[in-house]
Amino acid sequence: MSKLRDAVNNVDLKRFRFWFQLAAFVLFVYGGYLAINLGNSLPMFSCGYIRDGRAGVCYLLPLQHQLARPWPQLFSYAGVAVLTGFAIFALWFIVLNKGWCGFVCPLGTLQDWLTSLRQKLGIRQSGYTHEQFRRLTWIKYVLLALLLLIPLGIGGGLWSHEVGAPFCQICPGRMVLPLFVGDFSQWTIDFSSPGKIVLTALGMGITGLFIVGAFVKKRFFCFFCPMSALHYLLSKPALLRLRKDGSKCTRCGDCYTACDMEIREIADDVTRKEIMTDDCTLCLKCVAACPEKGALKVDFANITFFESTEEGFIKRMNKGIRK
Amino acid sequence: MSEIREVPLKPAFNQSRQAREAEVMLNHIVDDFIDNPAAMTYFYDLFRHAFIEGKALDREGPGIGTTCIQVPEELIYAAGGTPVRLCNGAYHYDQVGADFMPAKSCSLVKATLGRLHSEKAVPDVGKLELIVNPTTCDQKKKAAQMMEGMGYQVYDLDLPSAKDNEAAREYWRRVVKQLAARLQKVTGKKLTRQRLREAMAKTSRAQAAFRTLHNFRRKAPSLILGKDVFLVTNAYFFDDIERWSAAVEALNAELAQREAEAFSAVQKKAPRIVFTGSPPIFPNIKLPLLIEEAGGVVVADETCSANRMLYDMTAVDEWLLSHMIESIADKYLKPCTCPIFTRNDDRIRRLLDLVSTFNADGVVYQSFAGCQVYEMEQRSVAEALNKAGIPMLYIETDYSPDDMGQLSTRVEAFLESIKTRKRQARA
Ligand code: SF4
Ligand code: SF4
Ligand code: SF4
Ligand code: SF4
Ligand code: SF4
Repeated sequence: MSKLRDAVNNVDLKRFRFWFQLAAFVLFVYGGYLAINLGNSLPMFSCGYIRDGRAGVCYLLPLQHQLARPWPQLFSYAGVAVLTGFAIFALWFIVLNKGWCGFVCPLGTLQDWLTSLRQKLGIRQSGYTHEQFRRLTWIKYVLLALLLLIPLGIGGGLWSHEVGAPFCQICPGRMVLPLFVGDFSQWTIDFSSPGKIVLTALGMGITGLFIVGAFVKKRFFCFFCPMSALHYLLSKPALLRLRKDGSKCTRCGDCYTACDMEIREIADDVTRKEIMTDDCTLCLKCVAACPEKGALKVDFANITFFESTEEGFIKRMNKGIRK
Repeated sequence: MSEIREVPLKPAFNQSRQAREAEVMLNHIVDDFIDNPAAMTYFYDLFRHAFIEGKALDREGPGIGTTCIQVPEELIYAAGGTPVRLCNGAYHYDQVGADFMPAKSCSLVKATLGRLHSEKAVPDVGKLELIVNPTTCDQKKKAAQMMEGMGYQVYDLDLPSAKDNEAAREYWRRVVKQLAARLQKVTGKKLTRQRLREAMAKTSRAQAAFRTLHNFRRKAPSLILGKDVFLVTNAYFFDDIERWSAAVEALNAELAQREAEAFSAVQKKAPRIVFTGSPPIFPNIKLPLLIEEAGGVVVADETCSANRMLYDMTAVDEWLLSHMIESIADKYLKPCTCPIFTRNDDRIRRLLDLVSTFNADGVVYQSFAGCQVYEMEQRSVAEALNKAGIPMLYIETDYSPDDMGQLSTRVEAFLESIKTRKRQARA
């Protein structure tokens, strides 16, 4: 048992994640061809616009459509659909918490691949300053609010139906992910109405930004992702948890160095036990980068299955040094 | 007719005052104890050669002196130089250096200046091309110009004093990058990704060896005495890093064997002490030695001549030169528990953690007379330990051997009180 625990703690997380993410990417982008269907309440960007290949649909798509129902329907029978959809979403989410982002989401994985490409080219990463970080971190909540309010407004007849699922029009997932099944049809500007022109043009701009952004900055898009905001609001009861024991932390900042999301609290906060912040993707890189035994750990249903150890740290470090 | 030539009578080095001082201390460290680990012979010999026989230490590449732990040694190695930590522990040099500093100054700073000012000083590490002086305490800061006055090239490494600040991190990263540029000028070698990797591998091997040694000291009863460990980490100041690592690995192997044989280097009830404060540097191992001669054992320390120098390790996410340098910079700033920082909760947390994870019974806090920063932190550290129910002995001392008698009485009384506490706790 303790041998197994050592083996897990010594894991080459980088390699493990690479293969896990690749497998998840293949599953969610091509699984549909094998008739795999995991429903349409998935808590990550398994984009609904990947027509046949997808093995399940990103919850934001049905959510926006459901909320756009006329109010009389929404507040009666259609409300049930909204609630069941949400319940299924929440159940999926509770299992992995934000681990969906660090390990499963195809759009997240894609950003990691762009990062690897940049590293291979020897181009250095960019980051935000502390002030920029604080200002920008709110955007995902604003996007989430708009994503909920605009469809509601449509249903209430406040504005026209033509914008459909508004967030999807500007979401880089819609344009980028279908490319992997050879579908380029999303790369057009929809001239059917002024609203659509604006949104699809905006979407193209954002997609360009997504590609450039993710190339220069690790997980560029996740920082603004409304799904991530929705996750955080629900994360209290989640089973997978990132925990910290501040008494063991030297505040060395090694975890911060590793963190794609530039989360300073992970190193600096020595009082909070539940250390997952709203930007976190539960990629667990911080745990792998921490040299202090038990300072950071990952629990599933309160059972620790991966924690920082000196031995694991040294193993992983040496691998990097000697490459 | 044979020619009679006047041979100038030069006393052998080992007759000099500095050699005598070192010899007395080394003899205590070696001879006052039975069961010294065999692998310690490497270190005993090293100190004998360097300090008593005055032999030159062969080092590769241009020598780069450092006066504090915040100088990234990886950069020096990567630029083809050899770091030498200049902080000195000799009473002899303390007296020589007294000319430079006000009367009530820290022995360490005076001794460091005294050594640099002396001819044929030990340890003899050859010519220093540059001295990198981090701006830590005021005395070290002001020492820079005095070193320059002695003819050395000195580089002020501007260490921020409020390390929690994000701006400090950014600034320090820049400072470290500038140092890297300067080092390349001094050595004439380009610092490349590959060379930095190799340098980091050296440091990381040394740190891994140190951590293993550190972990062996968790065992109760102890497998090794603190006086030996201080000698080991002091050797890191000037020894060849690869040789040092190999010697520590050999020592670790011996400790593993000791552990397997359930060997004990001390009496079962020996009070376990965590040592903190002004750093013991050979030959001034006075206080740890007194503790262990009185029947205690130093199981861990929080000082810049041992733990604080070697413990914290660097993590790198992207192996690109600039990011590697940034990660290294962070390692030298963020976890550092040096008392010169504006606030020092980290030091207190580290002490509490050491006491609990090493099963220690008490803390001995050394402050060199004239070291304001350690003196000022004494109060808050004492309060925190007190709150946690951990007894602490605060000792203000310097490099002179005059107070040995008085100190040993205080140390003995402290250890006795710990034993009484433990007995009462058991009853
Ligand atoms: S476009 Fe974006 S939000 Fe819409 S379904 Fe695709 S991934 Fe989800
Ligand atoms: S935060 Fe990133 S990984 Fe998570 S759902 Fe959004 S795009 Fe995917
Ligand atoms: S790596 Fe570990 S010890 Fe270092 S700051 Fe992060 S949690 Fe603390
Ligand atoms: S805090 Fe840790 S788990 Fe969260 S994003 Fe940063 S490195 Fe990943
Ligand atoms: S012991 Fe105090 S005064 Fe002396 S060098 Fe260290 S911090 Fe400065």
